[in-house]
Amino acid sequence: MKLNVLLWLAALLGAVLPRSADSRPAAAPADRCLLPRLLLLHLGQELSLRMGGGSAAPVLLSSSSSAVKWALLQLTRRLLQARAEQQQDEEEEAGEKGKRSDEPPISLDLTFHLLREVLEMARAEQIAQQADSNRMIMDTFGK
Amino acid sequence: MRVMERTFREQLFFLVLCLSVLKGDSRYIENNEITKDELYSFFNSELKREIPEELMYRRPLRCLDMVAVEGQFTFTAERPQLSCAAFFMAEPNEVISVDYDSVDIDCIGGDFITVFDGWVMKGEKFPSTHDHPLPLFERYVDYCDSGSLRKSVRSSQNVAMVFFRIHSAGSSFTLTVRKHTNPFPCNVMSQSPEGSYTMVIPQQHRNCSFSIIYPVEISISEFSLGHYNHLPKRSMPGCAESGDFVQLLGGNGIDTSKLLPITDLCIAFTGPTHMKIGCDNTVVRMVSSGKFVNRVSFSYRLLDSQELQTIKLNNVEDFCFNN
Repeated sequence: MKLNVLLWLAALLGAVLPRSADSRPAAAPADRCLLPRLLLLHLGQELSLRMGGGSAAPVLLSSSSSAVKWALLQLTRRLLQARAEQQQDEEEEAGEKGKRSDEPPISLDLTFHLLREVLEMARAEQIAQQADSNRMIMDTFGK
Repeated sequence: MRVMERTFREQLFFLVLCLSVLKGDSRYIENNEITKDELYSFFNSELKREIPEELMYRRPLRCLDMVAVEGQFTFTAERPQLSCAAFFMAEPNEVISVDYDSVDIDCIGGDFITVFDGWVMKGEKFPSTHDHPLPLFERYVDYCDSGSLRKSVRSSQNVAMVFFRIHSAGSSFTLTVRKHTNPFPCNVMSQSPEGSYTMVIPQQHRNCSFSIIYPVEISISEFSLGHYNHLPKRSMPGCAESGDFVQLLGGNGIDTSKLLPITDLCIAFTGPTHMKIGCDNTVVRMVSSGKFVNRVSFSYRLLDSQELQTIKLNNVEDFCFNN
């Protein structure tokens, strides 16, 4: 009975883990799922060893139920810790994005006098370019 | 006999008509080769504005540059250039688009090309953050962050600029600058120290500024806020409680929110009002609630050195001459 409960719980956790990993970047789920899966494997091995005990199994199972419970608690703790770290990472990323937007923007130290000088040059260039364009149009119409 | 004559006359007229048509006296439609697709050309005015490749204006871009024409501008670094900027300017009723072409820079090595929607000088921005439709971080478009996704950047007003930094000699990039008509200009930077302009805000809740980076004499010839019979009742002097008014601002920066108010106008009038403002930047700013169609017409001319000297000597509030 307890074995069934344990197996159902392990299956449930195994189903939950990939879902939580989907929202993370590709590299992270492998790291995040490694520890819980190792624990699950360890639990499985523990169970198989216990099950192989034969007639002593029920006694051993009952005596090892506390160890299983402890393992389950550890597994839950690690899962919660992983989720907390995940949330913390997301908050840090959002904070970094906010910092990027708060960074002092690029600027140029230019006096009004210099700005007017370059503006005069640009206007002269515009007038010259317009004169060239007009000359080209007049030449085209004159043909 | 008469019936036969009538029939003969009708046949004769019909024959003459056919002969004149065959001779080609009727008009025919010429193929207008200016537009490629006649059926859809009137849906897209941009087609008519496309400059042929052979007529495109080209020149090198300088580290500090001002561009007021359409064309292609190529910057090639002969040595590391760590602090460069080019200002773009168009007519008051135009906006500017900047396209990246042939960019060869080392983004990972610290090179960047950033287009800004407006002008930035000494940390001050035009249009100010209060008057621009976009938040500040959206006004900077970095090629290294979004170059492949966003190859063209369009300004919201008649000015824009690009900042760039190139570490390696030989790196280069080309910018194609085009101008597009803006049917509803709001924030405008004047190209010249003299001219005239009419600012209209058609029932929009927005603030618009016309900035003149010269000391000028402004003559406001016409000013109307909404319906000509609407006279706002004011409980206190000044235009503070009016949702629609015009400000005259002056100062030594380009950020209109940091300029000092010279006067406010919130009662409609006709007839010229003259004012000499001896500041580096003179701004006519209209605040509009969106309830009315607001309109102000003004002209301006450059103050000569003698007038400036007179203003400096006579002006008690010399906030423009502190620096």
